[in-house]
Amino acid sequence: MPRGGRFILAATGLVGGCAGPSLLLLPGEQGDQGAVAVLESGGKPQETVVSDVNSRTKLGRANPRTRVIGAARVKTSERALVARLPPPPVSFILYFEEGAARITSESRPQLDAIRAEVARRPGVDVQLTGHADTLGSSEDNDALSQARALEVLNILAGEGIDRSVMTALGRGEGQLRVETADGVRDAANRRVEVVVR
Amino acid sequence: MLRRVIVAVSLVALAAQPAWAEIGRIKQSIGAAAVERGKARLPAAPGLQVQEGDVLVTGKNGRISLTFIDNTRFSAGPNSRIAVSEFKFDRATQRGSFVTQVNRGSLAIVSGQIAHSGRDAMKVRTPTSLLGVRGTRFVVKVP
Repeated sequence: MPRGGRFILAATGLVGGCAGPSLLLLPGEQGDQGAVAVLESGGKPQETVVSDVNSRTKLGRANPRTRVIGAARVKTSERALVARLPPPPVSFILYFEEGAARITSESRPQLDAIRAEVARRPGVDVQLTGHADTLGSSEDNDALSQARALEVLNILAGEGIDRSVMTALGRGEGQLRVETADGVRDAANRRVEVVVR
Repeated sequence: MLRRVIVAVSLVALAAQPAWAEIGRIKQSIGAAAVERGKARLPAAPGLQVQEGDVLVTGKNGRISLTFIDNTRFSAGPNSRIAVSEFKFDRATQRGSFVTQVNRGSLAIVSGQIAHSGRDAMKVRTPTSLLGVRGTRFVVKVP
């Protein structure tokens, strides 16, 4: 085939069978279904919900059509793309002594697990969110939850984790792990949640 | 009294945290891979902080992987041009809005907290369509 001919084939999208814009819906990592809605296509507002996993939807026409292709027909290039998604973030919970920014002795070993997780992730970032139980005033608990998050940040920094990859935030008694009335001591609510991304 | 001291100390220390402008970080890149920020073109090295408005650009052999602060994850393939046009996220309430524009190339996405925070809070635009993300894992291609 002359060069020009091949160029035209590529440019008109005849090579490869599915060369227009497309959506490939995959099963979630936990095998969950998920869905994507086409809200606009080819200039036409709509709400075409795609919920078949391992399906391909051609985009750009006024009426997008979805075809179930099955897992076996997901292309190599698409598999390569999915394989390079970063690993899911991992969460840890450290519990604290009552009314104090002191980690319980039971929770201390978690610090080693956090450090190990940080070490194996390139481009890592770590988010520390402090919480308090409902004992005491909500202002005091805001401060206490911040102090707890900072305590963890300072310990991790002392163990060699760069401060520039960590952010700390206090949520006071605004996000209880165990729902209680106000003024209740609850060990499960005195915590710092650590997300390693 | 002790509590009051803690308040003073913690407010100072929190103010010293990195700017909240960070919306994500590059985790991995291969080949020709850059982040365009206004007129600047930054190499997409692991650890680079991504900001709202950034454009991910890859060449023929380029790839970029990144994770956002709402736990959304991206993997951009070769010959891509992908703009993170809008990213608003409240770390405390875990709600926000997120618009990504895939102008060219391919992008695998695992959605995060923003997509969960409201119907179509996360959207993906291609030159000819608009998608509302209602969950989890998919690939958008714009050849």
